[in-house]
Amino acid sequence: MVYLAVIALLGGIVCGMAGLDNILLIKMITSNKDLILYILMFLVGISIGLNRGIVSKIKEYHIKIFVIPAGIIVGSLAGGIVSGLITGLPLNQSAATAAGLGWYSLSGVAIGNLAGAQAGSIAFLSNLLREIFSFFSIPWISKKLNCYTCIAPAGATSEDTTLPMMIRYTNGETVVLSVFNGVICSAAVPFLISFCFNFL
Amino acid sequence: MDVIIVMCLGVLTGKFFFPLKWKRINELLQTICTLLLIFSMGVLLGSRENFLQEITTLGFQSILFFLIPSVFSVIIVYPLTRIFLDSRKKGKKEGD
Repeated sequence: MVYLAVIALLGGIVCGMAGLDNILLIKMITSNKDLILYILMFLVGISIGLNRGIVSKIKEYHIKIFVIPAGIIVGSLAGGIVSGLITGLPLNQSAATAAGLGWYSLSGVAIGNLAGAQAGSIAFLSNLLREIFSFFSIPWISKKLNCYTCIAPAGATSEDTTLPMMIRYTNGETVVLSVFNGVICSAAVPFLISFCFNFL
Repeated sequence: MDVIIVMCLGVLTGKFFFPLKWKRINELLQTICTLLLIFSMGVLLGSRENFLQEITTLGFQSILFFLIPSVFSVIIVYPLTRIFLDSRKKGKKEGD
């Protein structure tokens, strides 16, 4: 799967750079990516539905269910501040960039509006790279650390695009926690970006 | 939000209507959809007007801004899950 993902990504970049994105088939794929995501989510839902008793297992977590999204938010913001210290970018912009939590479309536009086109490009690229990195780190993390930690690099994308990797490399319980985490992180991203940019 | 609604519909379909023998087909379709999404992500990146220039000028900063927050998230989440989630599992096993 990881090799296929690399091939798909590189193939996409080459097609985009070569201007092949106007070919009918490629245009169909790129312009219907929301529809593909919906189909994927429906199929993921079927996988969860086939896994009996999973929802009752999740209920047993109570408040502990917030441990993963809280850890991701704190870790990401701390990482953003450290990155800012290394690159010399203002702390508010650095933390806001990391506060995208992998949601590249929103963070690219939001930070672009707040801090200019260059900051928007860094936010877009870094959050896109985070999503790609999540794809390829999930198999390693599930093997070397534990299944729950696979959700950490995925951040806000753990409810959609990185979910199939969770299904493949973790267990049903982690998949449901992953969806929950994605919902919380996605809801937090707009507030975090605005908070970090205005108050740090 | 709409993504969550679609997934809930899938959960209901899986729970009540979807035959277990089609599980493999479902997984295969998921892989195809994922690859199509990654491909379209690549197209989106490659078709940006100044992609190569952006990668060379902003690449270093972008790499730092994805790598350090991702690694920090893992560093914080891993011990938290060991303390709060793994221990819960172990306790349950001992209880059983």
